Amino acid sequence: MRLKRWLLLAPLLLTVFLLQSYFWVPTYEKQATGNPKRLVTYIEGSIGDAKVLNPILNADSASSNIVGHVFEGLLDLDENLNLRGRLATKWTLSEKAYLFVSPSNRFPDGTEVSGPRLVNRIRSALQRASFSVLAENVKGMEVVPPTSLTQKIPIQEKGEDGKPKRGEVEITFNMPERVAFSLHQVDQDFFARLMPVIGDRYLENFPYEKFVQFPDGITPEIKAQVRAQLSGIFPVAEHNPIIEFSLRKGVRFHDGHEFDAGDVKFTYEAIMNPNNLSPRTSDFEPIKFVKILDSHKVQVVYKRLFSPAINAWMMGILPEHLLNKKAMQQEMERRELSDAAREAFGMRDSQFNRHPVGSGSYRFVEWQSDEFIHLERFETYWEGPAEYHDFFMRIIPDFFTQEVEFHAGAVDDYSAQPHQVARYKQDAQYQNFSSLGFGYTYIGYNNRRPLLSDPEVRRALGMAINVEEFIKYLLYGEGERITGPYPKNTQWNDPSVAPLPYDPEGAKAILLKLGWETNADGWLEKDGKIFEFNLITNNGNPIRKNIMIIAQNAWKKIGVKCNTQVFEWAVFLKDFVNTAQFDAVVLGWGMGVDPDLFQLWHSSEAGPQQLNFVGYNNPKADDLIVRIRQEYDVARQRDMAHQLHEQIYEDQPYTFLYAPLETKVLDKKIVLVHRGEDGQETYEKIYPTKTGNISYYFKKWRKLEMTPNF
Amino acid sequence: MLAYIGRNIALRVVLLFIVSVLIHGLIHLAPGEPSAVDPSNPRMKPQDIAKIRAAFHLDDPLYLQYVYWVRDLARGELKSFKDNQPVLGKIWRRFLNSLPLFICSTLIVWTLAFPVGIQAAIRRGAVFDRSSTLVAYALISFPGFFLSYIMILGVVEVFHVPVIGLRTFGMEGATGAFQFMDRVWHLVLPSLLGALGGIAILSRYVRSQMLEVVSQDYVRTAKAKGLHQDVVIYRHALRNALLPFITMFGLLIPGLVGGSVIFETIFAWPGLGLLGYEAILSRDFPVILTLNVFGAMLTLLGTLVSDVLYGVADPRIRLE
Amino acid sequence: MNTVNRPVASVDAEKLPPPETPWQEFIRVYKKDRLAVVSSIVLAILVVVGISGKVFTEWVVVFDAEVVRLPDKFLPPLSTPSVDIIPAPDLPQLGVYVFGTDELGRDVFARMLQGSFVSLSIGFVAVGISVVVGILLGGLAGFFGNIQLLKIMTVDTLIMRFTDVMLCIPTFFLILTVVALLPPSIYNIMIVIGLFGWMGTCRFVRAEILALRQQDFVVAAEALGLPKARIIFRHLVPNALAPVLVSTTIGVATAILTESGLSFLGFGVQPPYATWGNILTDGKGFIFDAPWLFVIPGMAIFVVVLAFNIVGEGLREALNPKLRRR
Repeated sequence: MRLKRWLLLAPLLLTVFLLQSYFWVPTYEKQATGNPKRLVTYIEGSIGDAKVLNPILNADSASSNIVGHVFEGLLDLDENLNLRGRLATKWTLSEKAYLFVSPSNRFPDGTEVSGPRLVNRIRSALQRASFSVLAENVKGMEVVPPTSLTQKIPIQEKGEDGKPKRGEVEITFNMPERVAFSLHQVDQDFFARLMPVIGDRYLENFPYEKFVQFPDGITPEIKAQVRAQLSGIFPVAEHNPIIEFSLRKGVRFHDGHEFDAGDVKFTYEAIMNPNNLSPRTSDFEPIKFVKILDSHKVQVVYKRLFSPAINAWMMGILPEHLLNKKAMQQEMERRELSDAAREAFGMRDSQFNRHPVGSGSYRFVEWQSDEFIHLERFETYWEGPAEYHDFFMRIIPDFFTQEVEFHAGAVDDYSAQPHQVARYKQDAQYQNFSSLGFGYTYIGYNNRRPLLSDPEVRRALGMAINVEEFIKYLLYGEGERITGPYPKNTQWNDPSVAPLPYDPEGAKAILLKLGWETNADGWLEKDGKIFEFNLITNNGNPIRKNIMIIAQNAWKKIGVKCNTQVFEWAVFLKDFVNTAQFDAVVLGWGMGVDPDLFQLWHSSEAGPQQLNFVGYNNPKADDLIVRIRQEYDVARQRDMAHQLHEQIYEDQPYTFLYAPLETKVLDKKIVLVHRGEDGQETYEKIYPTKTGNISYYFKKWRKLEMTPNF
Repeated sequence: MLAYIGRNIALRVVLLFIVSVLIHGLIHLAPGEPSAVDPSNPRMKPQDIAKIRAAFHLDDPLYLQYVYWVRDLARGELKSFKDNQPVLGKIWRRFLNSLPLFICSTLIVWTLAFPVGIQAAIRRGAVFDRSSTLVAYALISFPGFFLSYIMILGVVEVFHVPVIGLRTFGMEGATGAFQFMDRVWHLVLPSLLGALGGIAILSRYVRSQMLEVVSQDYVRTAKAKGLHQDVVIYRHALRNALLPFITMFGLLIPGLVGGSVIFETIFAWPGLGLLGYEAILSRDFPVILTLNVFGAMLTLLGTLVSDVLYGVADPRIRLE
Repeated sequence: MNTVNRPVASVDAEKLPPPETPWQEFIRVYKKDRLAVVSSIVLAILVVVGISGKVFTEWVVVFDAEVVRLPDKFLPPLSTPSVDIIPAPDLPQLGVYVFGTDELGRDVFARMLQGSFVSLSIGFVAVGISVVVGILLGGLAGFFGNIQLLKIMTVDTLIMRFTDVMLCIPTFFLILTVVALLPPSIYNIMIVIGLFGWMGTCRFVRAEILALRQQDFVVAAEALGLPKARIIFRHLVPNALAPVLVSTTIGVATAILTESGLSFLGFGVQPPYATWGNILTDGKGFIFDAPWLFVIPGMAIFVVVLAFNIVGEGLREALNPKLRRR
């Protein structure tokens, strides 16, 4: 029977065909010998796909990773976390300060204020010995004649449905005569130092209403709103810090076009263009304007004192010639978009975000969504080409699968979990690195809740948790205890602050002293209510989930009842965190290198959808936070940061738990390659920088055919 | 015939419309927002969020959002929230990736299920029948991902070869034959695992169909004529037992979307299932919606195909 | 004649088995299927385990599934706790970790016990919902099918078209979508699984009722003028129940599998509820370090689902007179 034979033969043939393919696939050991290119290919596993490969638009870690290879900023951080020039070779800081000539004011001796008089008085004062600090800093001063400015001011109006709505009103402000000071260095106390000359109350009571003109038909209510903002928008005394960048000459983008000052200015303007919806807007918002001095010199003038602002220039620079109006127009024509699509077309819609062109050490080749992104080294990179020829980021959305691919040799690097790292440490095939990063994990208490508003209560809750134990068992030692809001490896962290002791008895004693009593069921009770609250966290982070369970267990032992729940990230933010409808959360922050804590800790940032969602409010801390971000002197910043650290530790708005160590597991065949003058290669074992950056020398990494002996 | 098909198509278009309205409502009424709207980026300002919401029409009434969706879809300008790529292009690329997996696992199911089912029917009550029944039940009772993990673990730890994804990474330098076979190898595990449940169900179905047919009078007549058993089974019985399976061909098509979420996730196989899973994770409404409707469309297409095939194959049914 | 016939007749009466009720007949046929009998015993034990799981881990806490003992993490099954480090009240009840411990040092046995109740109840509740909806809609379509609605279509058309609509949505994917978008709660999962699973039952019930309505005993009942409710509940429903029972049994298996699939993708039941699905999912990350965390719940799910499937098949055979005759 032919049919019968076929029925039996077909499955057999299919099975044989499928299984024989095994013999064509490279095994872990064989892959390099048959395919030498594999040695100069670096494959990295990533949980998520990139979203948008554009330095001004990306907001996720996968995109940042790729963008970091393809684009380059003006600056970056060196081994010691100090700024280092990349596309900029040199940068200088100075300041321009402005002071209104306030006609209604009088000098301390009673004479009326006018521009020339003000300048003369200050000039003569600077001759005196008591003003020597000031005199050294002042480069020059001049009187600026009055000007008229029209500006849009944001306001809150009543919408048709009665709910408040955001709006704008355009006003004209007749800027009075001003005195402009050129300063060598930025000085946040400049005007305070001038007080003896101009009078202690000079900055107060400026008659703004005389200088402002409203358009017709504005309600008094809105006028009042505008007036309230005027002193903030047009301050009597204004600081304008200035950074001047000298740019590297001869740097080219991957398409061969030369990099110059126009690209820097364009990048800034692209960020500030509201159509582009850049998430970096707040970093660049303090900039007043960017001025091109010559083809390789740019001046950045800031609106106000904001010392972390310079860090924003670590962001990659866009190629103007591929994204300016003309280029966008051409792209629309090429893609034959409809009129409606053209209307809404912006940088977010551009194909550039999927085929980026930068000036970094790697050139973009291909992106298959949710599969991989392929980069190739940029042969004419100004610092010389990288050792790895190809760079792949593979998207593998599962930890287990990543590990399996790592075992099979189809991935060179993935973010190994602590328990996996502990296992790899036993394996002679791999080399391991662990070092501190900039993140930390904490339990944040809603400081507004009466139950949790007392720092003593929060201290007691913190003391009940055995952090050391879970660093040891849960993280396998891949974490370090922290005590405050700054990353441990930055100078802002005060190492003298001692962590909370693990002392459940002491914790209970504190609570008993505060009037809580143990009831029949073993729970703490006061006024007929037991000590009970909810602890929540987001889904998808197993370690946070475990911390939650451990905390629940630990608090149960001191009689505190804690209910736990896990929510989807979006729901977690929207329904709980953004609206402050929670008692306590387990979360983590990834910090920057600057000491600015305004968004996380200042009391003005505790509103809905703001980051101080725990509602931390301490006037002393507020003051320090503001002064730190206005200070340009590192030593003084450090002192204040240490004070702030201690203050926050005193208040325990969070229980600061630990900073996870960043780990990397690599095949021992991957080494650091040094090239001598004669092209001779020498190899060195990969090592992290003192500040813990493992991949700092990535451009010099390569895989060898044999495991080297060091 | 044509009128019959036309009427069927019209009916299905109406169904599709209702389904799309239903799914649209379901997705937009559920709490939670696209992840582009609340990104993990702490520096996102409320104003920016408002702008994004407006750009994606998230604040418009529901029916308008539906209209926008249909309009953009029809023009091919519907874009993913996640990466601003056209949704249709994404779905098409992923569809092409899912296709080999689907074809391979369908081949495995159909080539294996028939011999097993027929043998079980012939030897009804014998050891083969009973053990194949038990194995079939075991296969449909295993959580698919459980088996997958065990298999992956086994293959990687014992044979030290990669099994995840469409192909082995770093194989660009190899020759065409090697690359092709590498791709075939990467098909083996996911398609086999995806096929197991199908083999179990289909072989049981083949068995019961065969039993049904074997007891019919004409088979008894054939046997009584003294024909060889193989002739009776394969020429007389099988052909008639096959009839219902023609319709199953059409019903297979929707498996392309929904059936593969778990396996594609485990094997990092960039197909439709994984696309859907990722879209769900990031609340990428346009992709979720279009994919669900695409799935419904495939189902409707499948039933249409099976109806028509049935009419063509079975002379007892007249298409009017 | 009489004298001859009587003894013969009485002999015949003795030879014939006593008339079987349908129930007895069902039992007799079902008993023949040894696999199904074993499976039903397994299921019975499981129900007991599930209930005792609820009782002993939550009401009277004998096995505390929540005690964290970090020093005892990742102990394989049947290992003894480190008595010198763990405080006495935290030690496991049985003196050993029967199924080992997980990454937090929690007793997997206690967690499995706790999870058994949740897993089983998800299966039962979800299927309960789908059966109720299915019977209701199927019954409506079958019995009141010809009633015109607004002169456009009949009830039957409306319900069956709606069923078609539901059937042409890729179910698992839509369940995934909805569960992912809804707030994660065990009830939502039950309801969603239930609401996307009634279509089969609905079609069965409708077909069965349509067929039954043609049968003589129903026609007779209608002719007698019996009230409609009596006809439906006394005559139609019991006769239509057999296929429903079969699909229910298999439906429970499917629901448990669906929940574990959802758990696997991260959208299943969330803590504090332990289910076999999420124990398995948590365990998959530690498959190299602690394989029992993965294998034990995986096998538990497998056994239960298999038992349900086999019982379902056994029921089908036993309840189907057509199959039985052969």
